[in-house]
Amino acid sequence: MNHLDDAQLRDMLQRLRRFALSLTREASSADDLVQATVERALSRGAQQNAEASLRAWLFSILYRLFIDGKRRERRHARWLAWFGRGEEGGSSTEDIVLAESGLAAFARLPTEQRALLVLVSVEGLSYKEAALALDVPIGTVMSRLSRARAAMRELAEGNTPPPALRRLK
Amino acid sequence: MSRLIPSEEELHAYVDERLEPARRREVQLYLAANPEQAARIEGWRSDARLLRTALAGWAEQPLNPRLDPLAVRRSLRQRRQRRWATAAMLLVALGLGGAGGWQARETSLLASNPPMADAVQAHRLFAYAPSLDIAVQRPAQLQAWLGEHFQQAAPVPDLSAYGFSPVGARLLSNEQGPAALLVFEDAKGERVSLFLRSPGEHYARMPRGERVDGTLQARYWSRGDYNYALVSDAADGRAAQLRNVLDIAL
Repeated sequence: MNHLDDAQLRDMLQRLRRFALSLTREASSADDLVQATVERALSRGAQQNAEASLRAWLFSILYRLFIDGKRRERRHARWLAWFGRGEEGGSSTEDIVLAESGLAAFARLPTEQRALLVLVSVEGLSYKEAALALDVPIGTVMSRLSRARAAMRELAEGNTPPPALRRLK
Repeated sequence: MSRLIPSEEELHAYVDERLEPARRREVQLYLAANPEQAARIEGWRSDARLLRTALAGWAEQPLNPRLDPLAVRRSLRQRRQRRWATAAMLLVALGLGGAGGWQARETSLLASNPPMADAVQAHRLFAYAPSLDIAVQRPAQLQAWLGEHFQQAAPVPDLSAYGFSPVGARLLSNEQGPAALLVFEDAKGERVSLFLRSPGEHYARMPRGERVDGTLQARYWSRGDYNYALVSDAADGRAAQLRNVLDIAL
């Protein structure tokens, strides 16, 4: 029996927090998400032994919680809309942290692309680990990665100011 | 020069450093000869760098202490305890409400009112339960607790002369109002309990009496503001004597 010890978990906190922020795009709900993840991990008790799979496991818990939360939020929004006080679109306070860090283009990508880019490019997960964490087949990881990088490029290039006009003689 | 043009997947694997060394060199050569592809890949790389830098800056901020595993463990424990308490309360409500309610219904149907049925039920549920509201050793402690909850309670006599000492008490409630179960134990671990509550709609004042309910025997009487019942094992010969002592004192 391998117990999930606090030191291992503590080492993962900043990584979990980065991942959470890239999903929520907002600091305080990112921390809520990390807390919920640690709770879930502790109450499940880890059967994870290898450090690599522990990492993928924790990321997968966090991602699952985020997706479930989103689903609940949407349902909630539908209810509100039903009662005639729906609020469309994300709040303007969202995205602030990411926009400030020059990640406006990244913040505009769909959730599943953001998740994958962070896991692969920032956290250095192998494609297989990323597939585990996001609970998708490895083929999906590859095609999604390709789409995500292309989309990010496009957005980034669209954001750069147009080159100054050259006066023609 | 490379013979095989790398696939899209291989290009990503190249950026992520997931290629075999031999293949990696081939892709490198391919990119050197194809500046367009090389520029594409450089774009991916710089995006990844940007992402890393930005998120690294964020992660340097101090962690919120509530995220520490120790803090999370603590809050989990507290929540679990609260949940148990709620479950226990629900059980009491169901047990007494259900049993009491069912009993009340039956009694009204049969027009025969088994006196102090809730006392018997409470004894069954709680006399041997591991957790009572309070645990006591001395009669004075029991008396103090009783006084807190029942203003008119007369002093409970010391039963040590009969081999019984108080172990604890539990505050209960059913549709007839609040009630208390005081539990006593002898040296062998046999328990008897004294139940008291205000007379209610279904449990009016009653003459002194006794009845057997399954393996238990209830001896009951009314005095002052309360109805009392001594519940014991039906086979326990000391109960009659105990009841007399209590009856006189209360």
